[in-house]
Amino acid sequence: MDTNAPILTLHDVVAGYGAMTILNGTNFDVRRATITTVIGPNGAGKSTVFKTIFGMLKPRSGSILFKGKNIAGMQPRDLLARGICYVPQGRNIFPELSVRHNLELGGIAADSSIDINARIEAAMDRFPILRQKQNAQASTLSGGQQKLVEIARGLLLDPELILIDEPSIGLSPLMVQEIFQILKDLRAKGVTILMVEQNARSALQISDDGLVLELGRTRMSESADTLLNDPRVGQLFLGGAMEPAA
Amino acid sequence: MAAFIQLFVSGLATGAIYALVAVGFMLLWQTSQTINFAQGEFVMIPAFFVLWAIRFLGIDFWPAVGIGVIVSLIILGFLFKRMIVDPMIKHGVLPMVISTIALSIFLKEMVKDFYSSQAQPFPGLIPSSDLNFFGAVISTQNIFILIIASLTVVALNFLLNGTRLGRAMQATAQNPTVARILGIPVERMILYTFLINAALVALASFLISPIYLAKFTNGDVLGLAAFIAAIVGGFNQVRGAIVGGLVLGVTENLAAAYISAQYRGAIPLILLIVVILWRPHGLMGRAEERTV
Repeated sequence: MDTNAPILTLHDVVAGYGAMTILNGTNFDVRRATITTVIGPNGAGKSTVFKTIFGMLKPRSGSILFKGKNIAGMQPRDLLARGICYVPQGRNIFPELSVRHNLELGGIAADSSIDINARIEAAMDRFPILRQKQNAQASTLSGGQQKLVEIARGLLLDPELILIDEPSIGLSPLMVQEIFQILKDLRAKGVTILMVEQNARSALQISDDGLVLELGRTRMSESADTLLNDPRVGQLFLGGAMEPAA
Repeated sequence: MAAFIQLFVSGLATGAIYALVAVGFMLLWQTSQTINFAQGEFVMIPAFFVLWAIRFLGIDFWPAVGIGVIVSLIILGFLFKRMIVDPMIKHGVLPMVISTIALSIFLKEMVKDFYSSQAQPFPGLIPSSDLNFFGAVISTQNIFILIIASLTVVALNFLLNGTRLGRAMQATAQNPTVARILGIPVERMILYTFLINAALVALASFLISPIYLAKFTNGDVLGLAAFIAAIVGGFNQVRGAIVGGLVLGVTENLAAAYISAQYRGAIPLILLIVVILWRPHGLMGRAEERTV
């Protein structure tokens, strides 16, 4: 397979809720083994793009190509099997289940040839804090640790593409650095990451590419450096010369 | 003392039945936000499925019980979900509640009109006899009820906490959106809880009808008891519903004997008010947080 071909391509995707259209013909490519950050004002459709890619919202028209196959309208379960995982915004653990059982459910869509317990062990080797807390009820973990559970759970099926929505929200700066480091390590292993991040400047700093979404359309699709240095982008989304509020 | 033990054990037995009904009631609420006000009638009617099978199919008691279970699973589990909950839940909790109240009236009237308005004897699942226990007379029926209810609770607990399927069901109850993102077949998990509820009410029906006879009005008391047991125990915990059911059964029985039999019906309501004032989220429940 051509490794330079984009792993994900959105072509004229239109989607929305009820009478409201959020994505008005969104187009973009995501290159393999890169981190791509989507930025844009509130209501631009950043989270909606993810929901549409991941089958939570059926596109009205357009195509979504993952490794060359149209996946538009497929169910999450099928997308997981194809190697996509989605880590939504906010807290997404099962609060009353233990950390181990939260991780285990990340493998629920796996086919029977996959040894889930071995995968859980590997995840806990990678994130030792999760081993330490494996029997604790997930709600007792700190926000950062809960995010780690979510990421580890998402990685259980060895995805090729990770959609991660606002991973830094509500986390300490130290924890944000840790999460970003995890994303960089994943990229080094060939995993592709598509991220929405309010902390746009820090996100672009670890990204290869950036997308600017406005009113459900792709306004700019550039290298992350170009966006970081673009005065218009700086004015609009990066808080001008000031650091964005954490 | 002997009288106290007698009352206590028979209260526990009734309470164990309340607990089974309350657990089912709560599972429906947790996984699908269904408040089933027909839950009492759901306990009343499986006994009539059995009586109906005996009378009209001319079969023996045990095969009829088998039919009762199957018909309960289909009607009170599958069809209840498909024909009432699925279409109504989109419109919110209140229309859902009203529909289940309508269903309760429908089931009650149906039994009255098409079977009988008279209380019907219902055979016990085991032969009834009395055991003498340190001077207290305890019926084998009550012991049997306690054993069956305990085994059911243990089995249910194992299913929910000890198996991957059960944890997927819990995950569905705790966060359906994320459950779907992980590829859990959310709809199927919800259907399973409806089937579990149907099995629980059928069991409760077969346990309680030999004692109180099968009558179309049985659901009034049972539905209220299950509702109160769930609230007293804490609406979001299975073990809460169990504790709530047992507390209610025992309190009711002891109060009827030692305070006033006439006020028996008021006891659950008093218990409810006291618990709500003292612990608004129930004996075992947690306060539910809600983002505003």
